[in-house]
Amino acid sequence: MNLHKIKKFIWGISIVIFPVLCSAQDNDQRQINIKGFLDSYHALQLKNPNEVMSSRTRLRTELGLSKENIYLYTSLNATYNSILNDEIQIELREAYMEYTAKNWSIKAGRQIVIWGNSDGLRITDVVSPMDMTEFLARDYDDIRIPVNGLKLNYTNTKLKVELIFIPVSSFFIVPVHAKNPWSVFALSNEDIYSVNLDDTPQKLLKNGEFGGRLSFYLSGIDFSFSVLHTWNKMPVFKRNRISKENDTTYIKGIYKRMDMLGFDFSYPLSQFILRGEAALYLNEALSEKIDSDSNYIVTSNTSNILLGVDWYPGAEWTITAQYSNKYIADYNSKIEQPKNTTLATLGITKKVFRSTLALSSFTYFDITNKGAFNRTSIDYALTDEIHALLGCDWFNGDKGMFGKYKDNTELWIKLKYSF
Amino acid sequence: MTLLNNTILLLLMLLTINVNGQQLTGRDIIQKVKDRPDGDTRYSEMKMELINKRNRVRIRKVKSYSIDIGKDKKTIMFFLYPGDVKGTGFLTWDYDKIEKDDDKWLYLPAMKKTRRISGTSAKKDYFMGTDFTYDDMGSRNVDEDLHKLTGEETVNDQKCWVVESIPKDKKDIYSKKIAWIRQDCLVAVKVEYYDKLDKLHRKLLLSGINKISGFWIAQKLHMTNVQTKHQTILTISKPQYDIDLKEERFIVANLSRGGF
Repeated sequence: MNLHKIKKFIWGISIVIFPVLCSAQDNDQRQINIKGFLDSYHALQLKNPNEVMSSRTRLRTELGLSKENIYLYTSLNATYNSILNDEIQIELREAYMEYTAKNWSIKAGRQIVIWGNSDGLRITDVVSPMDMTEFLARDYDDIRIPVNGLKLNYTNTKLKVELIFIPVSSFFIVPVHAKNPWSVFALSNEDIYSVNLDDTPQKLLKNGEFGGRLSFYLSGIDFSFSVLHTWNKMPVFKRNRISKENDTTYIKGIYKRMDMLGFDFSYPLSQFILRGEAALYLNEALSEKIDSDSNYIVTSNTSNILLGVDWYPGAEWTITAQYSNKYIADYNSKIEQPKNTTLATLGITKKVFRSTLALSSFTYFDITNKGAFNRTSIDYALTDEIHALLGCDWFNGDKGMFGKYKDNTELWIKLKYSF
Repeated sequence: MTLLNNTILLLLMLLTINVNGQQLTGRDIIQKVKDRPDGDTRYSEMKMELINKRNRVRIRKVKSYSIDIGKDKKTIMFFLYPGDVKGTGFLTWDYDKIEKDDDKWLYLPAMKKTRRISGTSAKKDYFMGTDFTYDDMGSRNVDEDLHKLTGEETVNDQKCWVVESIPKDKKDIYSKKIAWIRQDCLVAVKVEYYDKLDKLHRKLLLSGINKISGFWIAQKLHMTNVQTKHQTILTISKPQYDIDLKEERFIVANLSRGGF
């Protein structure tokens, strides 16, 4: 480790432990809440060549500080990932300030925004983009990317109004490197390619995002209406084969304006919660199939629906099932995606031994492409603070979003200390 | 005049007899326990020590705020310990009407997400792995059970009514419950829960019974599962009553803050 790395390491650790140091200086009526965890995660590919798919250790610190009507929150990650790089990466995950008055509050800064009520699927939840560096083979909360924005809330006993403005948008992090097993192009026929995902919209006020959500939390039902002027945050790919001789394909991520109109609800019925989401994406960007040397990007209105049921039969069982469908209006046969795309999920969780051992399994079924992805894990609380987890990510299918990772089926372990 | 005095004296005696419970039914006593003054709003912190048969101890800590809205109750609870659940928020709108399901929401900080959960099924589950069910922790409508006053006993020098309660819902996890209720302060000192085979399943001992801010409270609840030998000691600290809390605080939007 050279001097530069040592300095960076010390600087990084200082930032991460800063919240802890702050607590020692608390000498007035501030309320300070510190929490976080240290975890170490390692995954091994089960198929040949049995590569180490992931090996990372992370320290997360979260500091919440409130005084009178002001609330400050920061969340920092210090991660050492021995697969992707050999340096500690410091990431400011969230950092915002919230001012609360009687019925309203304003939250400004880097924050995660979650809309809707679905598990692991995005219908109205289009504000915070996703980090697909390791596809879905991570905890879902690690996949979300915070946005820099301003959020105004009004609440009373029955409703919540949320207005949001994001001056500079954030976009999906998409792995594209040929050697990355989670590359979105990993199994394409394009042997040599060059990818440019940096052509995101200019940082201008007119390119900002804005919208709102009106939610009702009533006795016996919750429902929300949402609207957002946004972008397709997951890029669609424009491809050009400029040089046929060396068979290189140049790929550019395209981001276009779109609008989302959404609705979601949760309805309890005895041991069940029925829930659903519906969203109309106006002018969603879609890529066409490659024709001779290039393809085109088109826009179309799409409808996206999800119906789900959560079953709480007691004895610490939780069973969830979801069905979702995407329908492309104004469809033409050149569009890469089918006119209808259908996904389903099934989640089962059971806690035993006084909730110290949790068994969970969550499966995505890509009905359109006959593929599946299952994440099954055992989580045992060794002590109140330390959990040991063992899990398997299993991919199945020949095509579609899961089938292309069928060689990435992996076994993983995680040790987590929470404080 | 003497006749009038005698009549008044007789009426007072009858009234005293009634207050002392000679004429009280089991239901009357349970209703009196439920109606025992505990303020319109309240706050407390709870430490739960989970002790297994090998005497290994695990700790859970929560803080809880609640408000009475007529006969209904709204409660918001924040988990403080252990670290992996710290910040979890649990909001309950508890309805007194038997036929009306409670509304419940759970905020999971790891997911940064609030979700509605079933208001019925969780009642029979154990709360955070303790020996207390969600039903034990919440309030139960008096008419969900048939109550019978079976006698009077003295426990720790305190005169108690002994009331047997049998759930009307045959799917309930216990077949009957027997409570020893102190006559002076309407606080139970001992409760026994019997399983479907009518065998003793759990035994609750309450102690640290004090009057705080004018309200009676048991600050230590020791529940033992006599069948598995697992036990939970629940200690209530910092109890406060009639604090300045408005109904507007008991909303989903406040779950994610980890406190008021």
